[in-house]
Amino acid sequence: MDSDQEDFVFHGTPIEREEDHSSRKKKALAESSGNLRSLPAWKQEVRDEEGRRRLHGAFTGGFSAGYYNTVGSKEGWTPQSFTSSRKNRAEVKQQSLVNFLDEDEKAELEGRSLAASSKFDTFGFTAAEFARKQAEKENRSSRPSAIPGPVPDEIILPAAESIGIQLLKKMGWRHGHSIKDSHSSSLYEARREARRAFLSFTSDEAKPMLSTSMLAENNFEDVLDKSAEDDDKSPKITPVYMLKPKQDLHGLGYDPYKYAPEFRESKRLRTAGGRAHGQRARDNLFGLNSGNIAPGFGIGALEELDVEDEDVYGSGYDFEETLIEEAEEPAKLSIELHNNRPRLTDKEHGILAGFQLASNSDYQLERFEPPRIPKEYKPIHKFSGPLEIGSRLSDPPPLEVAPPEDSNLKVLIEGVATLVARCGKIFEDLSREKNQSNPLYSFLNGGKFYDYYSRKLWEERQKRNQTRPLLDRDDLSVSKMTAETRGRILGERPLERSSVAPISFDTHAGVKFHTNLVDTFTKPIVFNELLKVSKPFKDDPAKQERFEQFLKEKYQGGLRSTDSGGTSYMSESVRARERLDFEAAAEAIEKGQLAKSSTLNKHSMEFSVGAMQFTSGGIEDAKSVQVDELPGKILPKREEFQWRPSPILCKRFDLIDPYMGKPAPAPRIRSKLDSHFFIPDSFKASGTEEKVASRGDALPMTQSQMSENTNLVEKEPEVQMEIENVERPVDLYKAIFSDDSEDEGETSAVNKVENPEKKVEAANATLNRLMAGDFLESLGKELGLEVPPDLPPSLDKARDPLHKEVPHVNDIGNSTVSEFTKEDKSLEARELVQNLSIDGKKYASNDSLHKRSDDPSFGSVPQHDGKMRSLYDQSDSSPSEDERSRKVSKRHQYSSYSDSDSSEQRHHSSSKRRKSHSSREREKRSSRRKHSKHRKHRDKDSPERSRHRSERERDESKRDKRR
Amino acid sequence: MSASDLPRKEVTVLKGHEGAVLAARFNSDGNYCLSCGKDRTIRLWNPHRGIHIKTYKSHGREVRDVHCTPDNSKLVSCGGDRQVFYWDVSTGRVIRKFRGHDSEVNAVKFNEYSSVVVSAGYDQSLRAWDCRSHSTEPIQIVDTFSDSVMSVCLTKTEIIGGSVDGTVRTFDIRLGREIADDLGQPVNCISLSNDANCILASCLDSTLRLLDRSTGELLQEYRGHTCKSFKMDCCLTNTDAHVTGGSEDGFIYFWDLVDATVISSFRAHSSVVTSVSYHPKDNCMITASVDGTIRVWKI
Repeated sequence: MDSDQEDFVFHGTPIEREEDHSSRKKKALAESSGNLRSLPAWKQEVRDEEGRRRLHGAFTGGFSAGYYNTVGSKEGWTPQSFTSSRKNRAEVKQQSLVNFLDEDEKAELEGRSLAASSKFDTFGFTAAEFARKQAEKENRSSRPSAIPGPVPDEIILPAAESIGIQLLKKMGWRHGHSIKDSHSSSLYEARREARRAFLSFTSDEAKPMLSTSMLAENNFEDVLDKSAEDDDKSPKITPVYMLKPKQDLHGLGYDPYKYAPEFRESKRLRTAGGRAHGQRARDNLFGLNSGNIAPGFGIGALEELDVEDEDVYGSGYDFEETLIEEAEEPAKLSIELHNNRPRLTDKEHGILAGFQLASNSDYQLERFEPPRIPKEYKPIHKFSGPLEIGSRLSDPPPLEVAPPEDSNLKVLIEGVATLVARCGKIFEDLSREKNQSNPLYSFLNGGKFYDYYSRKLWEERQKRNQTRPLLDRDDLSVSKMTAETRGRILGERPLERSSVAPISFDTHAGVKFHTNLVDTFTKPIVFNELLKVSKPFKDDPAKQERFEQFLKEKYQGGLRSTDSGGTSYMSESVRARERLDFEAAAEAIEKGQLAKSSTLNKHSMEFSVGAMQFTSGGIEDAKSVQVDELPGKILPKREEFQWRPSPILCKRFDLIDPYMGKPAPAPRIRSKLDSHFFIPDSFKASGTEEKVASRGDALPMTQSQMSENTNLVEKEPEVQMEIENVERPVDLYKAIFSDDSEDEGETSAVNKVENPEKKVEAANATLNRLMAGDFLESLGKELGLEVPPDLPPSLDKARDPLHKEVPHVNDIGNSTVSEFTKEDKSLEARELVQNLSIDGKKYASNDSLHKRSDDPSFGSVPQHDGKMRSLYDQSDSSPSEDERSRKVSKRHQYSSYSDSDSSEQRHHSSSKRRKSHSSREREKRSSRRKHSKHRKHRDKDSPERSRHRSERERDESKRDKRR
Repeated sequence: MSASDLPRKEVTVLKGHEGAVLAARFNSDGNYCLSCGKDRTIRLWNPHRGIHIKTYKSHGREVRDVHCTPDNSKLVSCGGDRQVFYWDVSTGRVIRKFRGHDSEVNAVKFNEYSSVVVSAGYDQSLRAWDCRSHSTEPIQIVDTFSDSVMSVCLTKTEIIGGSVDGTVRTFDIRLGREIADDLGQPVNCISLSNDANCILASCLDSTLRLLDRSTGELLQEYRGHTCKSFKMDCCLTNTDAHVTGGSEDGFIYFWDLVDATVISSFRAHSSVVTSVSYHPKDNCMITASVDGTIRVWKI
């Protein structure tokens, strides 16, 4: 330590740390030895083991908190062992209550606490307690008492009255009385008087009704008065009302309906009902949430009750609930009725503690007496006009009389007749009275046209009272009923016949009959005639009858008396059904009528056919059942659809996929293509189908198109899109980039079937190439660049992809393969190209691409590339060829690239790993490859024209940007 | 075969389920049976000795259907928790849970090789799940139904589903065809005849309908019982001579296959008979009911 200090230079005086420390230590030692223990508590200092004073903070005791910083005893919490030997007996500590009390409690126990003295203790709490303590003390002091043992506190109650009570008593209050002012009571008295007076005024009938309640009231009041007078006999007439006894199991003050008050009422009802029925104690929670839950099974706390948790198997209905509601209503009402009076008095008496009756209230219940019913009233309505149905029927018909010439008068008479027929005799009397002086109405008083009037009246009545028109009466009624009356009944306007009618009316009755009918209702009579010929319900005469009635009513319109006698025994539904039948039959007849060309025989034929149908809906149950079954027999309708099982499902079921190798479901492709752009029809047709179509038709067609399209730039995107949309089958990639030891057979099979698709693709590709080349050419011309002359060979190739021009392909090869196999690089390059072209440096990309393609490491590629091409572009490659090409490509991949750069190696080594990747990843990759392929096609088109390519890419990038 | 040959004598009552038993199924050889119910458990029983063997608990809601592989090693179950559980029978552990149904799953079946589970759901779809791979995605979704699919049957090459939309749809995997037979009534349950030539479809108009599978013809209708609102099973007897099914009033009905007459009907349960299953070889039948019991019936 000294050696250390020698190296330093000290300024000022050093703090004597060492000495201080040691002295403290000594001090602490001294303390621990017990020197200071004799000091009183407030002089003792708390120190730590180093002897320093321990500061606890101002609020926690300063320097002297606790007893040596412990729990308040010297021993503290240190564990102790209990030892007790024969010689040295352990002291059994006698613990008393005092040992466990705090200081203030002790003070309270001793009676040293500050409290209201008994004199001023209004409510007597302190006094009571004090008295109790006093009693306790007395008890404790072992005074001999009558009751041996400790006397319960409840028995010995102090008879101390608080000052408040004493004051009240001085003021005249006595125990058990409510505290009310004399004013209110006098008011109450006055009111009672008034009410009595009112009651005495009420009528004699009402008195017995109210007398009972009044009596009760009087009794009650008397009791009150009495008790008020001598309350010593009945000291507690102010009962303590527990307004809401607590009956639930919730915590105090907890309101389960706090946030859903609408359930409170229902809950109350239910519990009330439950009590009434002595059952039905359902759990609150579940009862609230949903109606029916299977007993025994709850669900997790985190799940909410759902529809499916309802107990569908439980007894379907909640009978109790409905019962309760029914029982509840009248009961409540009756209580309301009976208790009306007493309750009122209760309230007036000011029973609610702490509330006073308002001396004047704004709210006044207005009560109205029920209307008085006259004594002679009988709850039956009588029509003063006599009913003349029965009598009229038997009346002999008045003679038929010719109508008056004056059409106005005729109309008037008929109108009156109709009205009278409808409204009864009273109308006739009325109008007679009214129009006494009017000469027009002379017919009512037996004037000139009384006969006509009476005839009309009779007719109308007949019509109205037609209950059951019989066949024999049919002719009569129809012939007698004129069109006008019917029309009037229907509210129709009389047709214009002011000029014609009088003439015809003058003539013979038969003629009149004819004209009238022809006027308005041509059809019905014809139908009626027809009906006689052919009856649709021949087999059921009653029904036929009804049908005829129906027909008549139908064509009469208006007065359709549905409850004509014959149908009264039928039920409503049956009648309705019959009505439908009738409608159908009538329609059929009408149709038959309209098709006049058919002969009568044919008619009957039709009707007989119809009859089969119409009888079906009749009353007979058996028949209807048969009819119902008829569609049922037909019902198991069989339909067949195409359904595509997933390949894996087929595999799992050990079946061959029926759609194996076929293109993806048509609708998807269609939607994809259609939503994006328009394709020529030939393409649509050939797109998913045979290669013959695509090769034979599409190619020449597109060539012709091409000639049109040469200068149409806007057509180009379309083609571009197509290229992108060509789906590359995943298996193809698998075939190329995976070692095929395991699924050789499978993939080959797949490839075999996939041929058509590939061919289609190839056709597309060639087309694209053609289009692209052409476009490039035109673009080049526009930009004034030189157009390479090797378009014809490419066209050639496109026309006939079978002839693979290997040398030519070789030419193309370099760049293609480099880009295709080194997809990363190619992508990179493309990005570069795009960037550059965006920047406007058109030809920079050109250089970079050239550099890449000139890379010597790709020298051995050409042949391989040719094979690759055969894989992609060859339209009709046989599977064997395919296989071979793949193998070759594999070989090349491993042989020719072995000496290429490391990225190449990486790529191939990764191919294996890729195979194990998830399909999604594979898809992603394939999409990337799609891009690369896309590029490849373009590259192939113009191998030497990288310049143009860059041009095009610039264009493309622009388009991309636009998109 | 007369009524005397029908299993009408109650041999054992299997009690243990709390609440409704929703399905009871014999295993493939008929020595054991499985049941499932509202108490979210699946139970394995020996119905002939009346012994409860094992309980499988994992479902979160009621279990609606259960099926066992032919080799008795695996179970598949489904229910209200929208999942299909794939169980190991001996350990009682869930091997896989297939999630994907948007709603409750009504029925579930294994295919012949126990490699695929096909489930029918309230979400109007049939879903096929692969038991071999670790994928829990369905390998096939059939959603041509227009209402809840109540029942599913599998043959070697076909998936047949019956739906509340009134159709019984047969999906032929080998041909890639879907054949829809519209019965016009909500189909509650379908079951195959033992020769697999016919389908018995239980409709909600209290009628069982027998369909010829090749032609789609309605061969016979069986009435007499009540089936209007519950999912209830129906099946043919092991000899295909009779049709049997439960009723909502707790009765069991036997019909003659050909002339559709009710040969026998008797009260078996106190409540709705949810499920019937006939022994593959013997004249033995188990019925399950809402009253929480499974009863074993023999001659």
